[in-house]
Amino acid sequence: MSNLNLARRTPVAAVARPGLRLIAGTKGMQRPATVAIAGIILVGVLSVAILNLLLSIASSTSVYELSKLQQEKRELTTTAQILGEQVDSLSSQQNLANAAESLGMISNANPVFLKLEGQKVYGQPQAALNTSGRAMKNMVPNSQLVKKSTTALLAAEQLGQAAETSADTVANKAKIEAPQVVSSVSGIPASPTN
Amino acid sequence: MSYMTPGNPKRRLTGLFMVIIFVVSLFTIRLVDLQIIQAEAINKVSFANRSVTRVIPALRGSILDANGTVLAHTVYRYDINAAPSKVGPILRNVSGQDVQVSVEQVAAELAAILSMKSEEVLQKIIGTTEYSNIKKKVNAEVYRRIKALEIPWLYYDPIPTRVYPNGAVAGNLTGFLGSDSTPLAGLERQFNSCLAGQDGQETFEKGVDGIKIPSSAVITKAAIPGRDIVLTIDSDLQYFAQQVLANTVVKLNAEWASAIVVEAKTGKLLAAAEAPTVDPNDPGKSDAADRGSRIFQAVFEPGSTMKTITAATVVAEKAAEPGSGFKVPYRLTFSFGRDVTDSHVHPTEKLTLSGILADSSNTGIILAGQKVPAETRYKYIRKFGLGEKTGINFEGESAGIVHKPGTALYDLMTDKVTMFGQGISVTPIQTAYIYQPLANDGVRLEPQLVAGCRSADGSLESPARKAPVTVLDPAANKKTVDMLEMVVKYGGIGRTATIPGYRVGGKTGTAQIKNGTGYGYRYAISFIGMAPAENPQYVLAVTVYKPTTISNSLGATPPWRQIMQQVLRNYRVPPSTTTAKEIPKYWH
Repeated sequence: MSNLNLARRTPVAAVARPGLRLIAGTKGMQRPATVAIAGIILVGVLSVAILNLLLSIASSTSVYELSKLQQEKRELTTTAQILGEQVDSLSSQQNLANAAESLGMISNANPVFLKLEGQKVYGQPQAALNTSGRAMKNMVPNSQLVKKSTTALLAAEQLGQAAETSADTVANKAKIEAPQVVSSVSGIPASPTN
Repeated sequence: MSYMTPGNPKRRLTGLFMVIIFVVSLFTIRLVDLQIIQAEAINKVSFANRSVTRVIPALRGSILDANGTVLAHTVYRYDINAAPSKVGPILRNVSGQDVQVSVEQVAAELAAILSMKSEEVLQKIIGTTEYSNIKKKVNAEVYRRIKALEIPWLYYDPIPTRVYPNGAVAGNLTGFLGSDSTPLAGLERQFNSCLAGQDGQETFEKGVDGIKIPSSAVITKAAIPGRDIVLTIDSDLQYFAQQVLANTVVKLNAEWASAIVVEAKTGKLLAAAEAPTVDPNDPGKSDAADRGSRIFQAVFEPGSTMKTITAATVVAEKAAEPGSGFKVPYRLTFSFGRDVTDSHVHPTEKLTLSGILADSSNTGIILAGQKVPAETRYKYIRKFGLGEKTGINFEGESAGIVHKPGTALYDLMTDKVTMFGQGISVTPIQTAYIYQPLANDGVRLEPQLVAGCRSADGSLESPARKAPVTVLDPAANKKTVDMLEMVVKYGGIGRTATIPGYRVGGKTGTAQIKNGTGYGYRYAISFIGMAPAENPQYVLAVTVYKPTTISNSLGATPPWRQIMQQVLRNYRVPPSTTTAKEIPKYWH
């Protein structure tokens, strides 16, 4: 029966269907193209994922590095502030006045003026030891004096330097030229110091 | 007995399928609800949990003197805090080995650094709370030493704090801030709009470890720092003047003293010193009365320093010349029954106008002054800047009191005594600027204390100043200065202001201080003068209030001389090369 049925089937080629035609098979070509596209997509996705991962790791590392540098900056800022406050304190008028006083430097309440032109001295010279009218110590309060001059050490250093200079001067007396004294028009020697 | 029967498998399968569909639908609905409908709200909550918003404090601008010396600036101080709930022994690596340090030992270490008692520290760190302040506003050095202890349950808050590196130098001018950084006095308050910055804001997301998440959104509003104020004050000179005044107050046992140095040709204030004054780093240590600036706020009758205005008015109005003669009695009795005497008994003297100033005669200056109508004298008093605030407009500045002729308070006696500085009240700054025009060819300049508000780019925005006012014509001005020179040359007290080598002009003042309706036995003594007189560069006004050991202006000339000598040295003013024009003191 079935054989008969099959036999009765009209062959495809025999059926005349205008508009339809048999084309050359592409089955063999489609498979590699699909695999290639899928491969490209897969590689692309993987590349992006790996790149993303690498970038993420890099940026995370940078963030920790940044955090570390910011911490370092904070530490340096703190150091700068500590040093700045020490400089402020050391250069404050109160500290300088106290240091000068402890080094034996005192302000003369009776200054005398020298006028080079005419070679005249104005005022009555008096020893600075005359304490009349002179403030003996700093009288202007400053609670920010966090650091004070160690004048004892400074005085010792100066004494040491003076002794050194003195010895040096004796040893090299012949070599060292005396500083040139500049004379003013009026004949009074002026200091060579500028 | 019943047995389970297989039933209809197709029906059971359908039922199961329906249940699965139902459950999946429920999950789908919930998913859509969470992911789409509530997504925004959930994201907000999530972001809020991760995000941290931090205020970026704007640093307040600095106050600088004329040479750039910092008088006030902002630094960080640190609050040392603990989380008591987490307090416990700490591990410390000693020679490669971890050693446990007890809480008591840690407290003792903290106490030693913070200058506290161990018990006090222990009391603050033991507990169950998350926050306890151990000490507020420690300096950076102490903060660093504490941090080096590596105590995990301590944390630190940086607090911007105002610091005045030179302490009380110009403290009366700078003013100070309160504990909450609110400006409370002085220039800090007056120029707050210049000094204060605008805080910024930063928002970021952080991970569990507290580190900012990469690529998290950061919304930043940049902080705008405050601008600086540049003063005309020379802080070295200011310190010198304060030293001299502090010494003067002690020696004379006075209530207070002030010294004002003015650059005559510019009107700039170079020093405005007071004693006692305030250390703005710790204003609580000063009496309330010493925390302001008496130079701008204290009002008193000036006394004889006013005679200069009267004499200048008479000369400018051509009513008399410096050499014009007057018969000057010890006492003048007026038609309305009141009288005025000189400070010392003397027979009637034949004094010139210059001699009247040199002897500081009250009766003599009345005789000279009444040659000019009261309205004219009032006009000159106002032209010299009295009766109104200066353009500095300092916090709490007083205008003083000047009565106008024809008004109820200007009675017959006021008309007379105003000529020698009673019945009129002034501030120390006004007294200094009476003499500034005399040192500037008769042209009064608006006082200047603040050179300007300086931006980060260096541009300086200066406060508006009023136009100069011509008070005296140059000829009358010169005659007035000549008379002031004679005060220093021939005056009994005036000569104590002499500075060898320099021509100096000035006037003494010994003013009785009002005590209720009358006058008490205490005085405000002063000396105001200029140097070098042939071409005055600097004006200095010294006032000592209520001295007890010396109660006349003999107490004011020594500090005046010391400060003026320093001014002349400081600004390298060469000694005078000419001599003063002689004006006879007496006439025959």
